[in-house]
Amino acid sequence: MGKRIIIQPVSRIEGHAKVTIQLDDLGNVADTRVNVVELRGFEKFCIGRPVEELPRIVTSICGVCPWSHHLASAKANDAVFGVTIPPAGKKLRDLCNSIAYTEEHILHFFFLSGPDFVMGPDADYSVRNVIGIAQANPEIGKKVVRNRHLGTQMLDIISGKSIHPVTAVPGGFSKPLTQKERDKVLPMAEEVLEFAKFSIAFAKENIFPKYLDTVKVLGVFNSGFMGTVSEDGALNVYDGKLRLMKPDGSFTDFAYDSYTDFIAERVEEWSYLKFPYAKSWGEGFSMDVDNPKGIYRTNSLARINVADKMATPLAQKEFEEFRAKFGRPAQLTLLYHWARLIELLYNAEHAVELLNDPEITSRETRVPVTPRAARGVGCVEAPRGTLIHDYETDDKGLITNLNLIVGTTHNNAPINMSVNQAAKLLIKDGKYDQGILNRVEMAIRAYDPCLSCATHNLDGRLPVRIDIVDSEGILINTIQN
Amino acid sequence: MDYLEKEILVLGCGNILFGDDGFGSEVIQYLQKNYNVPSNVYVDDAGLSVRTILFNIVLSEKKPRKIIIVDAVDLGKPAGSTFHLDVDEMPEIKCDDFSMHQVPTSNLLKELKNFCKVDVKIIASQVQYIPEEVSLGLSNVMRDSIPSACEMILKEMSPL
Repeated sequence: MGKRIIIQPVSRIEGHAKVTIQLDDLGNVADTRVNVVELRGFEKFCIGRPVEELPRIVTSICGVCPWSHHLASAKANDAVFGVTIPPAGKKLRDLCNSIAYTEEHILHFFFLSGPDFVMGPDADYSVRNVIGIAQANPEIGKKVVRNRHLGTQMLDIISGKSIHPVTAVPGGFSKPLTQKERDKVLPMAEEVLEFAKFSIAFAKENIFPKYLDTVKVLGVFNSGFMGTVSEDGALNVYDGKLRLMKPDGSFTDFAYDSYTDFIAERVEEWSYLKFPYAKSWGEGFSMDVDNPKGIYRTNSLARINVADKMATPLAQKEFEEFRAKFGRPAQLTLLYHWARLIELLYNAEHAVELLNDPEITSRETRVPVTPRAARGVGCVEAPRGTLIHDYETDDKGLITNLNLIVGTTHNNAPINMSVNQAAKLLIKDGKYDQGILNRVEMAIRAYDPCLSCATHNLDGRLPVRIDIVDSEGILINTIQN
Repeated sequence: MDYLEKEILVLGCGNILFGDDGFGSEVIQYLQKNYNVPSNVYVDDAGLSVRTILFNIVLSEKKPRKIIIVDAVDLGKPAGSTFHLDVDEMPEIKCDDFSMHQVPTSNLLKELKNFCKVDVKIIASQVQYIPEEVSLGLSNVMRDSIPSACEMILKEMSPL
């Protein structure tokens, strides 16, 4: 009689997910599914609203990466209004984006994924968590808090509000940066850069070598990748063109507003979240781990794979080392963590670079806009993947149509596939324990999924609960932390 | 402002996109508009980002003496009634809002109270209805309870 294992919710991801592992009569994995609950009614809520309200409204979608939504929405507004924003406005948005990245990547590496590596995947749950890692490494804990807090302070100074930002407006940035503010922020950014250097050196010396065997097997499958690059092919997290790479490394570049020519969104009856896939490859959609079709990934590893180079010197050095070790495209799922640290370094360098740019304190940060009937697509690389805001307005500037594809949604199929691969690899003959189930979760955490954008759960829950039910639906065992 | 430097933090929580769930945010906006907040108090509409702030405080050497959380709950009380709630009385439905999914049997508020010895106060108001789809704005009874929630916050701000 087949069994079903349910992990709900998956711990240490932003938002909530439920993993169902269906075993066959022999106790081997027959199928797996990762479910999330989608935020409902947002599109309908936006219809008829003035498009310029959207950059402020969308920050309430997600408490984790409000800056990404804020900026993607502001860029979609620019496109709707048909304006080119002043260089200083663009640089201030770019600066805020990079600072927000450093906060997010530090949090993820040290405290969301870190416990798996620092404490070990088999360590007891009571210590394999944020408190455990802080107690085991108090100096690192202090540095993490210090540097994340510096990020918050910098965003407060630059934009006035770090949590619910309002300064990216249609046509630019509403608050010019004064020379005095720049002088206050620059040393903070330099301190974060020092921590970014420490972080990647620490990981390369103490973390990655110990887990290379796990990296080589867990959650692994071959896919394509998508991310944003500048015109010269350098990784860019604020602006550029989208690059869609096939598993063989060949790629196509396209403008944001033609994304519907390259990507389609598939609906599966068992999931609220859509499954984007590369329709331009003409092979359809399949999540068969051994023979995937139309599957591409986003987020840090994807961005590193699609980029020809990095735009800052220290990140470029790390990029070259990474590519020499793992090739292009690198397919090992846990390499998302390594790629994330290269991005941390890039964004820290980029923030310092922007603050040293004399144009950053220009008073010319925005241009006026006039409502019109138009379609506008705004896109940024959110820490968790490509974020697309697609708006249409009438001649009064009121929203008539809206589509959002959030970063984690692009990775919906890949997350399902990595869980499937990991479960099949680890669960044999019906034997599993907490360590094995945590390794299955690790395959998900590599993607740093943020399901908050797509989730508004009202049901109560325990942090992790595994229900084992037989094929008749009768509960035969429960494991909880 | 630097919340790690303040003696008392007042944090409004919830999602304004889901009707009465936005109570905490609305209270903070009312408080900032209608009251003079002492200089030793940090007041913020934390919205959905409260975990970020609590996470930093849990790990920080500097901690506030008191944290006042303002939030909407559904405990079957009369809609719009406003009351104090102990951290341990937080319904599971809400505990998740205060967890980074780091601590399996606890959450950041409990960490702050039990291990960091911060005085955690929760001022909660009973929702009338939380919509399943995005819908802006509080119900009338929740809106009417905002001033009394502010008075409760002010009492908590009083010196030791």
